[in-house]
Amino acid sequence: MTLTLDPAFPSARYRDVIEDRDFPTVRADRERTGRAAIGCYPVYGPLELAHAAGLLPVGLFGGGNRIEIAHADSRFQSFICSVVKSTMELGFQRKLDPFDALMFESICDPARNLASIMSRNFPEQAVVYVHLPQNMTSPATADYLTAEYRRVLASLSAVTGKTVSDDDLRASLQAYNRMRAALRDLYAFRDERPQDLATGELYTLARLATLMDPLDVTPILHEALDAARARGGRMKDRIRVVLVGSFCEQPPLELIESIEESGCYMVDDDFLLGWRLFRRDVPTDGDPCRALAVAYLDDSVHLSTKHDLRAPRAKAIVDAVREHRADAAICLIAKFCEPGLFDYALYRKAFEAEAIPHLYLEFEEKMWLYEKIRTEVETFVESMLFR
Amino acid sequence: MRYAAGVDVGSTQTKAVIVDEDQRIIARSLTDTGAYLVRAADRAFQSALDQAGLRRDEIGQVIGTGYGRFKVEFGDTQVTEIGCHAKGAWALIPATRTVIDIGGQDTKAIKVSDRGEVLDFAMNDKCAAGSGRFLTNSAEAVGLEVSEMGARSMDARQPVRLSTVCTIFVESDILSYLAQGKRVEDILAGVHSAIAARTVALVRRVGSESEITMTGGVSRNMGIVAALTEKLAMPVNVSPDSHFTGALGAAIFAMERVLAGPGAFAPEVLA
Amino acid sequence: MSAPTGIRYQGELHLLQKEIMAKYFAEATAIAQGNGRKAAHLLIAGNPVELLRAFDVLPIYPEVNVLQLAVRKGSLPFIQKAEELGYATDNCAYVKADIGLFHAGYKTPFATIPKPDILVCNYVGCNVYLNWFEHLAELTGAPAMNIDIPFIRTADGEPTADDVIYVVKQLEELIVLLENVTGRSLDWSAFTKIVERSARTGELWAEIKAMTQSRPAPYDAYFDSVTMMAPLYTLRGTEEGLRFFEVAHREMAERVKAGTGPLPEERFRIVIEGPPPWPRLRVFRDMFTRWGAVAVASTYSTVGGLWEFGFRHDPAHPLESIARHMLSYNVCNRTFLQRYEQMERYVDEWHADAVVIHSVKSCRLFSAGQGDMREHFVRDRDVPTLLIESDLEDPRYFSEAQLRNRIDAFFEALEQRRITAGRGAPVPA
Repeated sequence: MTLTLDPAFPSARYRDVIEDRDFPTVRADRERTGRAAIGCYPVYGPLELAHAAGLLPVGLFGGGNRIEIAHADSRFQSFICSVVKSTMELGFQRKLDPFDALMFESICDPARNLASIMSRNFPEQAVVYVHLPQNMTSPATADYLTAEYRRVLASLSAVTGKTVSDDDLRASLQAYNRMRAALRDLYAFRDERPQDLATGELYTLARLATLMDPLDVTPILHEALDAARARGGRMKDRIRVVLVGSFCEQPPLELIESIEESGCYMVDDDFLLGWRLFRRDVPTDGDPCRALAVAYLDDSVHLSTKHDLRAPRAKAIVDAVREHRADAAICLIAKFCEPGLFDYALYRKAFEAEAIPHLYLEFEEKMWLYEKIRTEVETFVESMLFR
Repeated sequence: MRYAAGVDVGSTQTKAVIVDEDQRIIARSLTDTGAYLVRAADRAFQSALDQAGLRRDEIGQVIGTGYGRFKVEFGDTQVTEIGCHAKGAWALIPATRTVIDIGGQDTKAIKVSDRGEVLDFAMNDKCAAGSGRFLTNSAEAVGLEVSEMGARSMDARQPVRLSTVCTIFVESDILSYLAQGKRVEDILAGVHSAIAARTVALVRRVGSESEITMTGGVSRNMGIVAALTEKLAMPVNVSPDSHFTGALGAAIFAMERVLAGPGAFAPEVLA
Repeated sequence: MSAPTGIRYQGELHLLQKEIMAKYFAEATAIAQGNGRKAAHLLIAGNPVELLRAFDVLPIYPEVNVLQLAVRKGSLPFIQKAEELGYATDNCAYVKADIGLFHAGYKTPFATIPKPDILVCNYVGCNVYLNWFEHLAELTGAPAMNIDIPFIRTADGEPTADDVIYVVKQLEELIVLLENVTGRSLDWSAFTKIVERSARTGELWAEIKAMTQSRPAPYDAYFDSVTMMAPLYTLRGTEEGLRFFEVAHREMAERVKAGTGPLPEERFRIVIEGPPPWPRLRVFRDMFTRWGAVAVASTYSTVGGLWEFGFRHDPAHPLESIARHMLSYNVCNRTFLQRYEQMERYVDEWHADAVVIHSVKSCRLFSAGQGDMREHFVRDRDVPTLLIESDLEDPRYFSEAQLRNRIDAFFEALEQRRITAGRGAPVPA
């Protein structure tokens, strides 16, 4: 039995939940707490603000491979990535009914247009748009982002009618700090003992964290870490890889598993990066909006959608390969993803300069056949093992 | 009695139709287009004339349509196949308000007025995805003739899902499914479903107002018609003359000009 | 099919434009050859060119360079070079052509483009800009700055007060950067004079734009506007730029008085949305002129600034007005829905019969979601709307037969409906 099918592992019972576009966890939360939910489009949005305003922040990752796109195709062209279309399709199929609001950020051009088009077509959901800064070197940026977060907080308050105090914010910062710390621990564990925590399992847990209150999901993450630690698996003859490119549209779980089963241990990845954004806890003293703003500017991980001119783009990936003692890099990029494709040109150059073997793979969320990708990964792994 | 004709020069086949003053079809002909469009147009027209027992000079006006419409050298003018399919479908079934045409190279959805005029249209012609070419390639991949696909697909039990409508990549997906032991009927139903989904997205751009009529050769594939009916949740009309819709529409335009008399229509386009 | 004889697309302003652009490119080449003057690469969407001019830094727009390549049918080899280096077919072809151009030593048939002494990435709406200049910074090693312009995102469609403060502060930082690069300090009085010329240029441009409300329109607000746009970005703030617009204004005002348009007969007035297919501009134009269709307004002509609805640069508040120009008076930093409103104003106030949406594969800022735009105009506003597709820079995406088919079908239907409305069609059997 392969690791991913271990039914006793805490992640196993959530495999279907994470792809269920009827959002059962959201409905259950509403029944229990009475609060509304906000759908958060990738990559990163200030979830803590929404949480403090009394909303349940939920990750919105389009329709995966479960939703047939029947209406959104007429609004967006064929060369636009699937997640934009499938997210709009969720609206047409009334899957967004559990949400009172939607959050978008300036991650790329299609996403920005999507925010407008969704607001026109689905007026029942309030659209909150966050402009994340792209000037990382200006002393004025922290002031700007702090003001932006205050403005966004006001919009969120207007949705729930709740006045948000700084203490409310600090409590939410704390809750997300703890959740992210638990995820960081799981990621660190996988790096150390990849044979005892499959990426499919880790992904399921991380994705679950996008569907629940951080206070509810953190205990599950702790439980999973304990269960993984209790395993005593044998290391297989696989290559260690760092995977990049999947920061927005998400690959099907079966694709992630197929890649590992074809001979890899993923020791780092950028899945759901927006929900794992900060390297360390965001300080809870002082002005919480400013703390969150400064954390974005100075303490966030490398992102395709963040343009920091202080360092070459590929440096963070090359560093990740070294830090995680990876043998190779896999660029798993969504079809038509412009930021991902631009990055690839620079990554490729850096990989060649640094003699890091790498594999370029294209995917889309709507996939059900994985033979081609398996073959490509197997061939790549073979070429590495037999050098 | 006066007569008019329409000649539809398509990418694979050329059709000609002759109508009388009452818009009755008195002759129809079909020939392969081949490499020489001018000759194909001529051949189709002559064949229709022979059928009708008429001479060229007995035809009041001829209108060319289709991609090769400018190659109908004996034609009096040209009208696009969008205009002709709208007019032709309305002539066949006057309650038509939406026309779907899946051609060899492109797919069209046309919103039609109660006079057969084009109110709006949407086309998918950037690549062969979802068009007749996709069907042809799929048929090859499962080892069937295109004409067999419709009937066979009706025996499907569990249609497969195709991850792409790219005609180049669908072959490898079909081969994967065959290797997995999927039934040919299920694969065909999957192909039809994929094409229908693509087509319905196009139809939604112009609105799926009743009644919906499908024109063009692909309308003879009952599997596609069934898939469209299911996805639209509306009946889809098909006529035995659907193959000749474009030529019929052109012939009716031509007859309008005959009946209206000389100088009645807008000035010729500038070039 | 060639254009009918007797139609001249070349007026006095076309000839003058050729002359001043030739001079501009000669200046660029002289810098490339090393005359000590500095060059900055920046982007069109809403640009602080006035500051560059105040430092006598020549503004270089990679977008203008690559569109010139495309117009001269020379863009493909540069695009292919970039694709060899790992850029994808789905990446914006403007960027690919510029990367290819860099690798060709910046040599074009019309100029040698000087390497940037400074890269000013004015992030105005378009996210691709950020990627583009990040890549250029790594290739050229030039000092680079992202001027972050917050996107319009509030209910009232205006920037916030904090947005304006943020942009002004960044412009002040740009001044410091320019001082370091040029070794001189900002002459504030020269700067305000430049801003004043920009204000007067904007005034003339706004009036020229309004002239197409006449019947017939004196020029084509898409195909002829693009001629006027190049000096608007490269020479705005200069005496020469101002004189160009004075000439254009005079020529167009005369044509309005004389009742002349670009075509013998104006049969259809259209609003065109989206960038043009530069590699096949003439052929594309002919597809419309054969139907007597003239553009009375276009959104593309407002990429670098929107002047027709009242904005002017303000020499009394130079940095603040430049900030507002970059924040909200251009099409790129506004929302997709604000573009619908802009187009509706054009349809209503410029009396248009139809909308043509030219969707380009490269530019997702313009194109992503134009299906919804079409839906809105057809269903909610009852305006006949045609959606066609090609690309702005890559000639491989221009399918002449298919475009002609769609354009013909559209105008044929409009023509047919006019006849029916005018005369009453024959009754069916």
